[in-house]
Amino acid sequence: MSTLIANDLRMGYTSGKLRAEVLRGLSLTVDAGQLTLIAGPSGCGKSTLLSILSGLQRPDKGSVMALSEDLWRSNRRSLDHFRLRHTGFVFQGFNLFPALTALEQVMLPLGYMGVGDRAARERARVALDEVGLTPRAHLLPAELSGGEKQRVAIARALVKHPQLLFADEPTSALDAANGQIVIDTLRRIAHEHGTTVLCVSHDPRLVTHADRVLEMEDGVIWNDRRAEPKSENAS
Amino acid sequence: MIALARKTLLHEWRRFLPAVLAVAFSGVLLLMQAALVFGIFGATAVYITASDARVWVGYPGTQSIELGRPIGPQAHTALLMDPGVARVEPFAWVGADWRGPPGTGGLSVFVSGIATRPDGMIFSSVLSASQRALLQEPFAVIVDRADLSKLGVPVGGQALINGDLVRIVGTASGIRALGGVNVVASLDTARQLSIDGGDGADVAYYVATLKPGADPARVAARINARARGYAAWTAPAFARRAVSYWMFQTGAGLGVIFLAVVVFIVGAIITSQTLMGAIAGSVREYATLHALGVGLGSLRRVVLEQAAWIGVSGLIAGGLLSLGLMALAKFEEVPVAMNLPAWIACAWVVMAIALVSGIAAVRVLRRADPALLLR
Ligand SMILES: Nc1ncnc2c1ncn2[C@@H]1O[C@H](COP(=O)(O)OP(=O)(O)OP(=O)(O)O)[C@@H](O)[C@H]1O
Ligand SMILES: [Mg+2]
Repeated sequence: MSTLIANDLRMGYTSGKLRAEVLRGLSLTVDAGQLTLIAGPSGCGKSTLLSILSGLQRPDKGSVMALSEDLWRSNRRSLDHFRLRHTGFVFQGFNLFPALTALEQVMLPLGYMGVGDRAARERARVALDEVGLTPRAHLLPAELSGGEKQRVAIARALVKHPQLLFADEPTSALDAANGQIVIDTLRRIAHEHGTTVLCVSHDPRLVTHADRVLEMEDGVIWNDRRAEPKSENAS
Repeated sequence: MIALARKTLLHEWRRFLPAVLAVAFSGVLLLMQAALVFGIFGATAVYITASDARVWVGYPGTQSIELGRPIGPQAHTALLMDPGVARVEPFAWVGADWRGPPGTGGLSVFVSGIATRPDGMIFSSVLSASQRALLQEPFAVIVDRADLSKLGVPVGGQALINGDLVRIVGTASGIRALGGVNVVASLDTARQLSIDGGDGADVAYYVATLKPGADPARVAARINARARGYAAWTAPAFARRAVSYWMFQTGAGLGVIFLAVVVFIVGAIITSQTLMGAIAGSVREYATLHALGVGLGSLRRVVLEQAAWIGVSGLIAGGLLSLGLMALAKFEEVPVAMNLPAWIACAWVVMAIALVSGIAAVRVLRRADPALLLR
């Protein structure tokens, strides 16, 4: 069940003469079919951890097994390929191309995966439908609200049918209502598709919506809470 | 596949416009300088290109027509005896001094003495049969319309050449020379105007048309095989000699290359800077794609495709602008001329400017590090 296993991760940054240890021998496992939330104070290293777990940044020490692949023993090209096939990302900024409509944004990554235009369009429609944006599919980012933009970004991550979905502060640029929609969508994706959804946030509102909360401080996980099963439409 | 490069280019055209303009203006500069050079230096070969003679015979080693020296009548005989030659015509060439009405000062002119029969070879494409007939009148001359003001005499007016009174009986277009004024006269008039005045002494060239099927290169080779004191060239070879002599002996050719290099560098700098700015502006989006597993190679292709589109748009814009400028220049009788190889060469340089800029701009993509999205 564990699709993501990190073992003894160490990571530090040197700025000038100062060395700051951000991760100090951190280990964790993340399971499929759940929304796992990593919570912790600002600057504690949540984003750093996420970038290492998702194959974006190499740790100083330690290993990451993602879908039984030892991420940091492979070269850059196969890392790119791993991410292309298996991972989706949702970032704090929406990072949508200004020139593309919502539908085209979502189709874009599929083209690089070798999916044909017609199949890509169909899959993009389904993904947009899943985030409730079918009526907005033809609009450019400039014509979308912040919440809608983040849902397009989720659809873009989703359309690849990734086994791993990473989200870094996906709600921090949104108001409460839109943040709610986004976090519910992420959880539904985990439950319906069996996706491993790993979300990082310091937003306390999200804690009650996650299936599991890992609390992080001083470079380690110090608490691991699994939520009671509860109804989907809790607000 | 979503055409990311093209859609971005169209959507953010304002951002890319400076690059398109830089490429377009580079193209215009290159083309116009080529057109001017061909126009100006093409004038040095106007006698050859405006004539239907296929073979030219002149003084050995003559680089350009105005450097010709008198040759003897045995050249005439050699041409007449060649089996490929249909007809031979002498062409006299006199460097002379022009004096217009008082107050206009002197001017050095080149007097061309040509055959006045209706099917005369020299200037066959710029002088009509009736204009040639006008030249049969002694001391009648024809000049280029664009030279009239320089000469200070209207059509029908009179002036002195080497002290002899001549009359302008008409004008033509396309007989301008480089570094002087071309004055066309009959062979007899030219001979009279020549200061030394000897019989046939100033015939600098003999030109010939060929029998159908005769190869000019072989005729020239046959003549050269036995020539003493004269040499033969095919018309295109002689024209090329003239143009390249002027372009390279005067340093203008190096000037052309130098300016082309400057245009290339300036165009590439502006274009690559614009592209870099555009990429830097979208770096977070590129980083997102990279995070999603799109390799740097694919992202580079997007940038290069944008550069190629910029090149194509600049090429079209610059081409149209150049056509307009060429038309304007022709209308104003500025000497411009263009040929297909030159157009193609300029188009290649313009595309090279765009692609080199794209390659230079690609390195900005290194900033598209997905880690920058995770903070
Ligand atoms: N590229 C870097 N160079 C130097 N220091 C860095 C770098 N990235 C992060 N850090 C430092 O590492 C620490 C952890 O950063 P990180 O972004 O992982 O925190 P975070 O938990 O995501 O914080 P927040 O909740 O505010 O997003 C911070 O103190 C930060 O200053
Ligand atoms: Mg962070």
